[in-house]
Amino acid sequence: MKNLRSLKWISGNSMGLKVKTGERHGKNPPTYSPQRKDWTMAAFLVISVLLGSTIAAGAEALDQIRRGLPERVQAWTKAGEDDLYDDRTIFDYINGAAEVYRAYNMQGCLSRRYETPDGLAVILDIFDMGSSEDAYGVFTNDQDGKELDLGQGAFYRSGWLSMWKERFFISLYAEQDTEATFAAVRSLAEAVSQLIDVEGQKPIILSYLPSEGIRPRSVRFFHDHMVLNRHYYLAGENILNLGPSTSGVLASYERKEGSARLLILEYPDSGKAKSANAAFLTHYIPEANASGMALVEDDTWCSARVHEKFVAIVLECGDRDLAKGLLDEVCTKLP
Amino acid sequence: MEKDCRVITRRDFLLAGAFAAAGGVIGLPFTRSAQGWNGKKSRVVLIRDKNVIDGSGTIQGTVLEKMMDQAVKTLMQAPDVATAWRDFVAPSDVVGIKSNVWHHLRTPRVLEAMIRAKLMEAGVEEKNIAVDDRGVLRNPVFQACTALINTRPMRTHDWSGLGTLLKNYIMFAPRPAEYHGNACEKLGAIWKFPLVKDKTRLNVLVMLTPQFHGVGPHSFSRDYVWNYSGLILSKDPVAADATGARIIQAKRDLFFQTRSPISPPPHHISTADSRFGLGNSSPDRIELIKLGWDEGILI
Repeated sequence: MKNLRSLKWISGNSMGLKVKTGERHGKNPPTYSPQRKDWTMAAFLVISVLLGSTIAAGAEALDQIRRGLPERVQAWTKAGEDDLYDDRTIFDYINGAAEVYRAYNMQGCLSRRYETPDGLAVILDIFDMGSSEDAYGVFTNDQDGKELDLGQGAFYRSGWLSMWKERFFISLYAEQDTEATFAAVRSLAEAVSQLIDVEGQKPIILSYLPSEGIRPRSVRFFHDHMVLNRHYYLAGENILNLGPSTSGVLASYERKEGSARLLILEYPDSGKAKSANAAFLTHYIPEANASGMALVEDDTWCSARVHEKFVAIVLECGDRDLAKGLLDEVCTKLP
Repeated sequence: MEKDCRVITRRDFLLAGAFAAAGGVIGLPFTRSAQGWNGKKSRVVLIRDKNVIDGSGTIQGTVLEKMMDQAVKTLMQAPDVATAWRDFVAPSDVVGIKSNVWHHLRTPRVLEAMIRAKLMEAGVEEKNIAVDDRGVLRNPVFQACTALINTRPMRTHDWSGLGTLLKNYIMFAPRPAEYHGNACEKLGAIWKFPLVKDKTRLNVLVMLTPQFHGVGPHSFSRDYVWNYSGLILSKDPVAADATGARIIQAKRDLFFQTRSPISPPPHHISTADSRFGLGNSSPDRIELIKLGWDEGILI
């Protein structure tokens, strides 16, 4: 065990506590199921809550999956011990890239390395994001590549397979992109998917997006303004007051009238939504007319509207009527 | 957010033509109003040699040394290499070579050794030279240093847009994550720390196999590095980074066959100029000297 924050797994132990997980007997590997807990685990979780930490709960969920992982897949064999990282030690592992996962409330990350006899590695990382919404969200950060029918969604590109299922985001990184490595990471992804019994729901905010003309791979779910800026740089400052208590979805549209981007944001209450809308109008389109519409420097329309605890914003819209129409459509869908 | 606060938005970049012209990286809208510019351009030397990397991907030390020698002579406008290095350091200096050990794309060990050797040839005692990255705050040479040489490869970065020379000093911060806000825009503040302030004598941005795109938590794929076979040298880290950023941006646009802005925009380069006064980011304030192999130079 390295330390409490970045521990090497010791078989059958988790942070010095023996945790029974209702392991199946026979050939069937143990699977992760949020409903299945025994008394030992319940006690473990109580301790976690008393300690004011969700880390241990995340660790337990990952440990259930870990114990079902294959030791070998094709020419690749497990190399070394597994590692577990939390939302702080994850920096030690993936440096600044950790901020993306932290922006989606990462609870823990299990990392396992597989190697061929000549040292060619495949690295499996399973991120426990705490909720299926955030697992889906972090998955939407990169939707390039070939779509695969795995988990609740998967892509493969340039030696990297990404997948989400229930509250987990799974990354399989191969040092070389070959047919053999693709076959191996696909096989591993299938194995991980089978270890997660249930599926999770996507964020409800996605249901408020109009369906006509939407480009599916452009849909991004997020909380943090820096994540929004990664996909669509809006402003250096957090003018929309985004953070852990807000949710947002960004999507691109192509319709016969033209193209547009649509941003829908959900705030904890209508007051915060109203403030965010006012700040957007002040800082981004101060020249907007009474209906919150403005023509900006690249000859596209930008418009914002507040509705209860939601703010909807149309960006880079080539047609004024389309901008208005998209906001009207959103408002009819919002609760 | 204060109502009166002036916020830089996407529209400012549109106004400056930055997104159209340079992917929002270099056409930094407010650098012209940066305070304290003395009217002097920053000299940047870009040197390339297609033979510096052989067919197996191995760096050829002798070629690299020739590149370094030619570049430092040109940068310092010195009659010979030894004079150039003596302009950087004095024999009494204690020198930290700030490297980068990110395992996918680290500062080449041969370059680290070469810089160490050049410093010794300039009269610096071996015991007064150290190479380090993540241990700089515990390294006694760095703690006592009077001079720094800053060197790292350029790569795209999930949170700061680019891994740059400016960003390479984040390990001098006791809590690096405190500088991750808004795409690491405040990295320039680290350069004001007493341990590093005004100590950097030379910046070497390694552009041998730069990385122009990243995927996944490991942010790396061999598909997104290429043999650019170059080095960028400058006494101004901002100018060196801005030059490297333009090359990365050009490579992205070429590779993806569409405008493909570095994401997130690497604001820390512009803020190092406009807010922290560490150097020049605007191309019209940079004297770019190009040496060597010209094919595919992208700038």
